[in-house]
Amino acid sequence: MTATFRTYWQETLEELARYPASPEVDVLPLRSTPFATLYGVRLTSLGPYRLFGYLSIPAGAGPFPAIYYAPKYQSVLEIIPQGTANPQRSRYITFSLASRGQRNADSPYAAMFPGLLTDGIDSPASYVFRGIVADSVRGLEFLTTRRELDPARVVVAGNDLALITAALAKRATHVVATPALFYKTAELALKTSAYPLEEINDYFRLHPARAAAVRDTLAYYDLRAFAPDVSATTLLMAGARGSTLDGAALGELVAATKGAVTVYESEQSSYKDGLYAEQWMASQCGITDVRSILPEHWR
Amino acid sequence: MPVRKPDDFDAFWDGVLRQAASVPLEPELIPDPLRTSEDVEVFHAFYTSIDHVRVAAWYCRPARRAERAPAIVFLPGYQMDPPIPKEWARKGYLALSVAPRGKLRSMRQFNPGYPNLLTHNIVDRHSYTYRGFYVDTWRAIDLLLSRPEVDATRIGVTGSSQGGGLTITTAAMRREVRAAAAGAPYLCGYMDAIELTHTYPYEEINDYLRLHPESRRAVETTVAYFDGTNFADRIACPIIVNIGLQDNVCPPETGRELFDRIGSKDKQLYPYDGHGHDAGRVKHNPVIDRFFAKHLLGQSA
Repeated sequence: MTATFRTYWQETLEELARYPASPEVDVLPLRSTPFATLYGVRLTSLGPYRLFGYLSIPAGAGPFPAIYYAPKYQSVLEIIPQGTANPQRSRYITFSLASRGQRNADSPYAAMFPGLLTDGIDSPASYVFRGIVADSVRGLEFLTTRRELDPARVVVAGNDLALITAALAKRATHVVATPALFYKTAELALKTSAYPLEEINDYFRLHPARAAAVRDTLAYYDLRAFAPDVSATTLLMAGARGSTLDGAALGELVAATKGAVTVYESEQSSYKDGLYAEQWMASQCGITDVRSILPEHWR
Repeated sequence: MPVRKPDDFDAFWDGVLRQAASVPLEPELIPDPLRTSEDVEVFHAFYTSIDHVRVAAWYCRPARRAERAPAIVFLPGYQMDPPIPKEWARKGYLALSVAPRGKLRSMRQFNPGYPNLLTHNIVDRHSYTYRGFYVDTWRAIDLLLSRPEVDATRIGVTGSSQGGGLTITTAAMRREVRAAAAGAPYLCGYMDAIELTHTYPYEEINDYLRLHPESRRAVETTVAYFDGTNFADRIACPIIVNIGLQDNVCPPETGRELFDRIGSKDKQLYPYDGHGHDAGRVKHNPVIDRFFAKHLLGQSA
């Protein structure tokens, strides 16, 4: 990890800290159930920029384990990920956050998909993900202020942002991460024509003179640089064997990560992969009857 | 429970189509140099749909192609941001990826949001979300027909999840569709699905009924007009359907009932055990490729 990397993120976090979160928390009766109450949350991030999230609190006394669903690479903000059994909300606090540009946080900035990955990428200072990372950190900071939460059981789940957030915010005890955007990005983009990494190829094609600047920016976001600061127990969801981001390809990331890491290679089945992740989180959080919070067709 | 088809189902949709026909298509293609590569030309496409809603799409053309080429319409999942269909173009098809109303790039005039889109005006079939949403996908065929490079006798349609459901309704309502491949079809067996699973997006309906229990009958009445199962008997083209037997989003039971109701004699179901909402995608993609190659490219297996 270089000094400039540390300085860049230290300055980002210091800038974030200058803006109080100023949360507004409102009950959403339509999505509340007998077993969990859902809230819409608005809070401020770097910029200043006002974000939106869905916070679900189980009925009962608590304290509860929590899952923080870090911002995804899509326009839609989900309460819990599509396909997750709603009863998950009876056992965990869940918080999903829309970072700047996503729906419910798309004013004044509305992100495009594809398009977000290269927005402002010519410079680390202008890259849109500097703000998005700050947003994600702010989301975890907010979640961990909740009195219903058990601070010894806080899972951050998502793509690359889950690992980055855990590295910067230090409040996660567990991470479930599926690297997709920021692991050897420029190098792996050359091996695929699939989006989102194809966005990098598109950008290089139209702006070849900017390639060095883009690579410089991406160096500030590479997961390998964050890994030494990830002390949370981590489940890395790798691609299927032989794919661009399979277990072997993630070897450098595993080696660099400070905390314990389990690597799961995709079986190319959302059922098998999803079931593994649900069971892993439950076992880490001391939930013994995971079956009761699985989708019906997975029981 | 078998999905009930309203007696005036056909009359309802005939009326909707008459309204849609009165709206000029106003097709427009704008080149996108950022996304265009040596092998694929990429365009922002736009057209006007019912209620004068402007709909966006991505249109991809193989850079090297015959004067007239076959075309594929790709229809999106519920939460998916419609992708740029370069891979279909690389396989030799003109490819159109549609963003029906409410999707990113088509949300200026209509934007109920996610979650919410599934239950927006769900007590009234005349203003329910999917009235316009379905028409938007059917009008995509008109956009293709407006293009001189499209061979109108070789148009296919495909998608998974919501895209699978929309594939069903589009193949049913547009006779120009010559081959269809539907994965994990959503919007089929609505009322069974909300009992069989408690995951979003179907859970939006359970949320709605919890808050508005008095509206259950109105909801049941509305969704019967939009249930893909009730469109299925109209499908006459060759069609394949894949489902995951552990699908946690679109219950496989609803996919099976849909398949049984499909009118085409040339139909095949691919059930994938050990698979969820992916519906065996990795194994099934080559099946889809061969299916369209046979029916649209004229290649034998």
